[in-house]
Amino acid sequence: MAVSAPALGDAFAAIVGGEHLTTAPSQLAAAAVEGVPPRWLARPGSLDEVGRVMSLASVEGLAVAPRGSGSALDLGAPPARLDVILDLSRLTGVLEYVPADMVATVQAGVTLDLLARELCKHGQMLALDPYGGGSRSVGGVLATNASGQRRFRYGTGRDLLLGARFVQADGTVTWGGSKVVKSVTGYDIPKLLTGSLGTLGVIVEATLRLHPVQPASGSWLFSFTSREAAGSLAAAVLASSLEPERLAWLNAGALERVGSERAEAALAVSVATVAEAVTSQGALLGSMASRLGARVSALDEGFWTRVGGGLASSTVVKLASEIRRLPFWAGEVERVISRHGLTVSLVGEAGNGILRAAVEGSVSPDTWAREIVAPLREALAAEGGSLVVERAPLDLKRAADVWGPVPETALAVMRRLKTEFDPRGVLNPGRFVGGL
Amino acid sequence: MAYECDMHTFYKGAPDVVVLPETTAQVALLVRLCRREHVALVPRGSGTGLIGGAMAPHGGVMVSLTRMNRILELDFANRCATVQPGLINLWLSQATRDAGYYFAPDPSSQMVSSIGGNASTNAGGPHCLKYGITVNHVLGLEVVTGAGEILSVGGKAHDHPGYDLTGALVGGEGTLGLLTAITVRLLHVPAGVRTLLASFSAIDDASEAVSAIVAAGIIPAALEMIDETFVRAINEGVGAGYPKGAGAVLLIELDGPAAEIEAQAGRIVQICRDHAALEIRVAQDEAERALLWKGRKEAAGVVGRMSPAWILQDAVVPRSRLPEIMREVQAIGARHRLVIANVFHAGDGNLHPMILYNDLEPGELERAILANDELLRACLTMGGSVTGEHGVGLDKASSMPLQFGDADLNFMARFRRVFDPDGIMNPGKLLPSHPACGEGFRPSVPRLPAGAWV
Repeated sequence: MAVSAPALGDAFAAIVGGEHLTTAPSQLAAAAVEGVPPRWLARPGSLDEVGRVMSLASVEGLAVAPRGSGSALDLGAPPARLDVILDLSRLTGVLEYVPADMVATVQAGVTLDLLARELCKHGQMLALDPYGGGSRSVGGVLATNASGQRRFRYGTGRDLLLGARFVQADGTVTWGGSKVVKSVTGYDIPKLLTGSLGTLGVIVEATLRLHPVQPASGSWLFSFTSREAAGSLAAAVLASSLEPERLAWLNAGALERVGSERAEAALAVSVATVAEAVTSQGALLGSMASRLGARVSALDEGFWTRVGGGLASSTVVKLASEIRRLPFWAGEVERVISRHGLTVSLVGEAGNGILRAAVEGSVSPDTWAREIVAPLREALAAEGGSLVVERAPLDLKRAADVWGPVPETALAVMRRLKTEFDPRGVLNPGRFVGGL
Repeated sequence: MAYECDMHTFYKGAPDVVVLPETTAQVALLVRLCRREHVALVPRGSGTGLIGGAMAPHGGVMVSLTRMNRILELDFANRCATVQPGLINLWLSQATRDAGYYFAPDPSSQMVSSIGGNASTNAGGPHCLKYGITVNHVLGLEVVTGAGEILSVGGKAHDHPGYDLTGALVGGEGTLGLLTAITVRLLHVPAGVRTLLASFSAIDDASEAVSAIVAAGIIPAALEMIDETFVRAINEGVGAGYPKGAGAVLLIELDGPAAEIEAQAGRIVQICRDHAALEIRVAQDEAERALLWKGRKEAAGVVGRMSPAWILQDAVVPRSRLPEIMREVQAIGARHRLVIANVFHAGDGNLHPMILYNDLEPGELERAILANDELLRACLTMGGSVTGEHGVGLDKASSMPLQFGDADLNFMARFRRVFDPDGIMNPGKLLPSHPACGEGFRPSVPRLPAGAWV
C-alpha cells in the first residue's frame, strides 16, 4: 500500500538524516530536471544509504534521478516522471589508492579535480578530460560516458573503468568487474553501466585504471585557410607513426571563442612523452603542416581548458561519424546551421570522428527539428553515424528527440535489459534512448 | 574426436553434431532450430582456448566458425577492419602491415587462434600492458543472440546512443550469442621498438624491478617474467640463449617514438641495475629481438621437457603484490612437493604458474589440484581476479563465487537470460551452475595438453 508523502519524507529522512533531505519547494524547484521538480532531494552519505533510498523508492514505485555534480543533468530527454533526486555529492571518499598498481577506487561523488590532486602527488592521472571540466563527478562522468580530447590516446570511461559497485533499482548492492588492470572474469558489467545514464543501476564506487603523467608535453595550433587542408593534416597525422595525445579540430567560430587568431579551420595537437620526443615529434608535425600551408603557433596547457569552455553554450549537438568524414561533416554543420542565421563553433576530435557544435542564436522548434536535426541525423545515420542533442532549451528538446532513433533489433535488446533490471521504471524513466 | 575438447584437454565432451556454417543467415537458422528443439549450442573458433569453453559437456550442436574466415573490409582511413570470426588473429596484422597498421591484441596463440574466439574470451597477450585486452580494440559486432536475433552493435563511428552492448558482449564466451562479424581497431605500427632482457639471481629482485619500472611512470609494451625453471627448459628446448644460471629473466619491450624509447630504455637499464640485475641485453636488430622473444613465445612448448602433465593457472594480483605472490607460489609448491614453473605477464600482475606433476604417480594429480586451488585463493586474497586473459569457461565457473557474491552472480545470470532466454547457449560455462540444477560437470580424463599457449 502506498504511503503518504509526508510519511515517505520521514522515511527518507530516517535513512539519510533530516539535514540531508530537501523538501522545501523553492529548493526543489531549483533542482528541477528539464523543468520537472522532484518531490525530494536526498543526499545519502554511504553506500548503504544509497541502497536503502533505492529500496524504498522501488517499493513505493517512485522515479529516481541519480545526480553527481549536477553538470550533466541536461543530457537526455525530459523525465517521464521524477520523485527523488539521489544526490551523490557527499560520497567523496578516495577508498583505495595504491600508486604502484595505478588503480584507484573512489566514490561516485569525487570530482575530477579532487581526484587529480590526489593522483598528481604520485605523478599519475585519470586520463578522462570531459568538457565541463574538473568540477564534474566521477560517477556522473561514467554514467554519461563523458570524454574529451584525451580519449584518442587513452580511451573513454569504458576503457578506464575496471570495476564498479552499483545499486540496482530495487536497492540491491552489486559489484561488477575487478580491481586489477587485467581481468576477464565474468561479464563486463562496468561496460554495460558506462554511458547508461543511471537507467540500469547507480554507480556508487568506481575502480579506475590510471596513467602516468608524462614528463613533458607540447601543444601546437596549425591554422589553415581551408577545411580541406586542415583535413589533410589530420589524415596525414593519423596515417603516420606519430602518437599524439590530442588532435582537436576547430572551426572559425571555435577559434574566436578560445581567443586564437582567425582561420577557416585549425588543428590543435598535443603530444606528451619524454622531453626529447616532444621536441622531435613537434618538429615532424611542423614539417608536415608547413607542407600543407599551415601557420603554426605554440599553445599553452590552458588552451585545452578553453577548448572545453568554448562549448559552454545553451545548445550543443554531438555528431559521430567515420574518422575520415569529420572535415566533411564540419562543413555540412556549418552550412546547415548558418543558413538559419545561427552561428556555430565546432570542436572536433579528429582522431575519433566526434564533432561538437555549440549553436548560438534564435531558432524556432519547428525549424530546429525539421531543417537542422532531421536532415543531419538522417545523412549521418546513412553512414553509420549518429547525432545527439547534448544540451538544448526545452522547447527544442521537445521538438526533436535528443537521442535519435536506435536500430529496432538493438533497441529491443536494450528494452529487455531495462525490463530485466528495472521492471518498475524507477531509474531515470523516460530519459534515455527509445524512451527507456 | 577432434571436437571433444579445446586446448584444455582436462575436460572432454563430444557434441552430437558439428556444423560449419558459411553465412550469418545460416548461423541464425541454426540458433532458431536449436532454440525450437531445446538443444545446447556450443560456438567454437580455432579451439585453442584454455578453459574448456569450446567443448560440449552436455552434447548438442557445435558451431565451428572456421569457414567464416575472411577479411570483409580494411579501412585504413578509419583505422579499422571488419572480419569474420574465424579469421586467424595473426593474418589480420599480416594483411595490414604493408600499409603500416596492425591489430594490437596478441595472445601467444595468435598464429592459430581466431579473432572471434579472441573476442568471445576477451583474450589478452604480452602487449596488453600498454594496449589493453581485446575489448579495448573491438568497435562493433554482428551477433546472432541466443534468442535468434541478428544484432548489429557499434561500428566505425564511435559513441552509438544506447547501452554499450559491444563492450558487454565481448567476453561473453559464447553464452550470449555467436559473433558473426567483428569490427576492430587497427593501430599504426609504432616508429620504433626496443627489446631488452634482464637477468636476476632471484625472482624477488626481478619482481621488485617490475614494480620499480612501472612506478617510474614507464608503461612498456610488454613486461614478461620467466623463472629459473623455465629459463633452463627454454635454453635446452629452443636454444634461446638466455643467461645461464639466472634465477629469473625479465623480457621488456618498449615501442613508440624513437626518442621516447631511447630515453625509457636508459631508465629501465638503470632500474634493473639498481635491483641487482646480473646481465642486461638490448637487442640491436630485428634478428636479435626475435631471438629474445623466441624463448618466451615457445615457452609452453618446452613444458613437455619438464613434466608429463601440468595444471595452468591464470589468476591476477595487483601489480604491487607481485613479489609477495611469487614467494607464496614457491611456498605452495614446496608444501605440496611439486615444482611450479612460471612464465607470465608480470607488468599486468597476470600470473601463469604451471604446476608440474606426474600423472602416473599416485596422489600427484590430487596434490596439484590442491596447490592450484590454494594459488587461486591466494591471488584473490590479495585483491586479484580469477582470470586475467584465458576466461572462465567450464574450468573456472565453479571459482566465480570466490570473486563475486550472490547478488553479483545473479545480475550476470539475468544479463545472460536477456540474450539467451532458453539457456541453450554454451550451457555450463562462465557461471556456476546452481546446486539445484544437479551435479556440476566433472572432468573425464585427467590429462593436460601438450603445446598449450600462455
